Amino acid sequence: MRALVTGANGFLGRHVVTSLLARGVEVRALVRPAARVDALGWPSSVEVFRADLRASRELKGAFEGVDVLLHLAAVVSGGEDAQFAGTVVGTERLLNAMAASACRRLVLCSTFSVYDFSSTRRVLDEDSPLHQAPDVYARDGYTIAKWWEERVTRRFAEEHRWDLTVLRPGFIWGRDRGYLAALGQQFGRHHLVIGPLTRIPMTHVENCADVFALAATDPRARGQTLNVVDGPGERIWTYLSDYMRGSRQTGWRLPVPYWLAISAVRLGFATVFRRATKVPSILTPRRLEAMLKPLHFENRRLRETLEWSPPLDYQHCLARTYDAAPIATERSQAGSVADSKSPYKWRNRFSKSS
Amino acid sequence: MKAALIGAGQIAKQHLSCLKTLPGVELTAICDLSPAAAEATAERYGVGTWFTDHRAMLEKARPDVVHVTTPPTSHFGLAMDSLDAGAHVIVEKPATPTFEQLDRLVRRAQQAGRHFIEDYNYIFNRATQEILRRVEAGDFGAVTHVEVLICLDILGPDGFADPNSPHPALTLSGGAIADFLPHLASLAYLFVGPHRTAETVWAKRKSSVLPFDEFRAVLDAERGTATVGFSSNSQPDAFWLRVYGERMQASANLFETRLTFDGPRTVPKPLRPFFSGLEEGRAIRRAALATLLRKFKGPGTYEGLWELLGRTYGALSDGSAPPVTAIDVLAVNRIVEALKPKEHRQ
Repeated sequence: MRALVTGANGFLGRHVVTSLLARGVEVRALVRPAARVDALGWPSSVEVFRADLRASRELKGAFEGVDVLLHLAAVVSGGEDAQFAGTVVGTERLLNAMAASACRRLVLCSTFSVYDFSSTRRVLDEDSPLHQAPDVYARDGYTIAKWWEERVTRRFAEEHRWDLTVLRPGFIWGRDRGYLAALGQQFGRHHLVIGPLTRIPMTHVENCADVFALAATDPRARGQTLNVVDGPGERIWTYLSDYMRGSRQTGWRLPVPYWLAISAVRLGFATVFRRATKVPSILTPRRLEAMLKPLHFENRRLRETLEWSPPLDYQHCLARTYDAAPIATERSQAGSVADSKSPYKWRNRFSKSS
Repeated sequence: MKAALIGAGQIAKQHLSCLKTLPGVELTAICDLSPAAAEATAERYGVGTWFTDHRAMLEKARPDVVHVTTPPTSHFGLAMDSLDAGAHVIVEKPATPTFEQLDRLVRRAQQAGRHFIEDYNYIFNRATQEILRRVEAGDFGAVTHVEVLICLDILGPDGFADPNSPHPALTLSGGAIADFLPHLASLAYLFVGPHRTAETVWAKRKSSVLPFDEFRAVLDAERGTATVGFSSNSQPDAFWLRVYGERMQASANLFETRLTFDGPRTVPKPLRPFFSGLEEGRAIRRAALATLLRKFKGPGTYEGLWELLGRTYGALSDGSAPPVTAIDVLAVNRIVEALKPKEHRQ
């Protein structure tokens, strides 16, 4: 079996490549033209295909001999339009190329963000309500882009009768990505912890990658939509403590009950920010709910459908995230120290000496 | 009045948000090469129909006004087809990559009895308009000089200098900086009129995919002189407009709401700097608060675009002259042409 992995050098993608190789799958890794892959330590059997989904004219070649596409690439930085163009329009271009190929199997990396947390009560699972248009456009650029990406992909899959698996991970964490939006609001070294006992819908990047590799190879995954979390999740206070300890950070933690925070934000939104268009996420009720609403997060369907259980438990995940680096990471690209000699030889006598 | 838009990218949202607020304007259609982008934009702004083929849109929606908000290299064909279909055209800057194409569009618009308007939004910002009001009221005396300098970091990997996906503006002569020349030229033109001569410096200080990252020019114009420039390397981001008159000077940062005036005072000359400093300090404190509030609400730095569109649709509905005329567009683009790197001028 040969898999095409988009976003293969990304945070999740590089682990998905490793997991696929471990299952004996041949991998073609689609990375951007300027991406550096040397430090990832991929074996020579990994075929690197360089293309940018936003611009490259020839994407069809990426699908030659491919049995399954794992589509992980997304633009997660920049403005709302850059994210839409990179994630959604890029997906359209990729899937148009797939439609012209013999590949008929697709695993999409979606997200928990497509769920409408505001309408969800107690348990969030695959049957929970999704965002609806036009309300979704009040959300952040990432949510709009991922919601549309799933919409576009489902339309393609239906039109071309592809076997589609949609995986919706919660917060993905791992080495160099320990901090999560679910941790509340950070002020310098200090943290405002909203709902400290709330559990986080989380999956360690290596566990998450294992699900993707399994879904790509297991026929039982076809046609399924599955949430990906490792279990019920750690409490925010516990995880934040582990994060601060692991990353050797010090600072105060101020706990605030969730009901107090959401009430204050709703009041502020109904009065001060009622007609505002550019408000930070933490001050927007629907966005605050998406980050912090106390719900029970369920992975029952994933366990039952694929008989999956996370290869790494929480303590192992902590060790893989915060202990001394077991694998090579990309070296810092910081430039050399600037020449300390001033080019200004004729500074006047009022200039301060450094 | 029926409005349609081609190109559902970033600036399109400002056009559409403004059009939703204008009385008597009906948003009839959106067009984009990406079906998802077209549909999402139509859904978001409550636009009736969306297309991926602009000719089909022009034929079926029959708009009175077409907004062209695609990358500049595609403007000419889209604008020409829209004029041929009998619509007025509002085009994002830069209107066309070459003056020759611009000239053809203006002529076609005149033949068809339609307006061809390029977006010079910073002319219509509140600060610029306040300076203009005081110039016209005679406070400045004659304007002798105008300085326009944009300091903007365009060297980051996510925008113009993206090494993976070449930005469309890089095909323009001057590269990414050419995308800003209409702003510089339109503000110079506003205060000192059509240019007579221009001297330019184009330079590259840092390694990137951009052909140039620094630009300066000196213009001799009909009513005064102008210096215009763009710096990718000077931080923080700022858009400085400084107008020098015989009796008064003004300084504005058009990325913010900062605007200060310095003019005659009825105090002894030695005390002038003291009182000028106090007044300038008050104006900057007021502007600091106004800039903060502007981030929470409304169009922000695009306030000038909203004003331009409001005035344009007002003029189209009552048959008066639009705020940007064909004469303005030609004069501004003659300046733009003179500012281009020498090997690219026509």
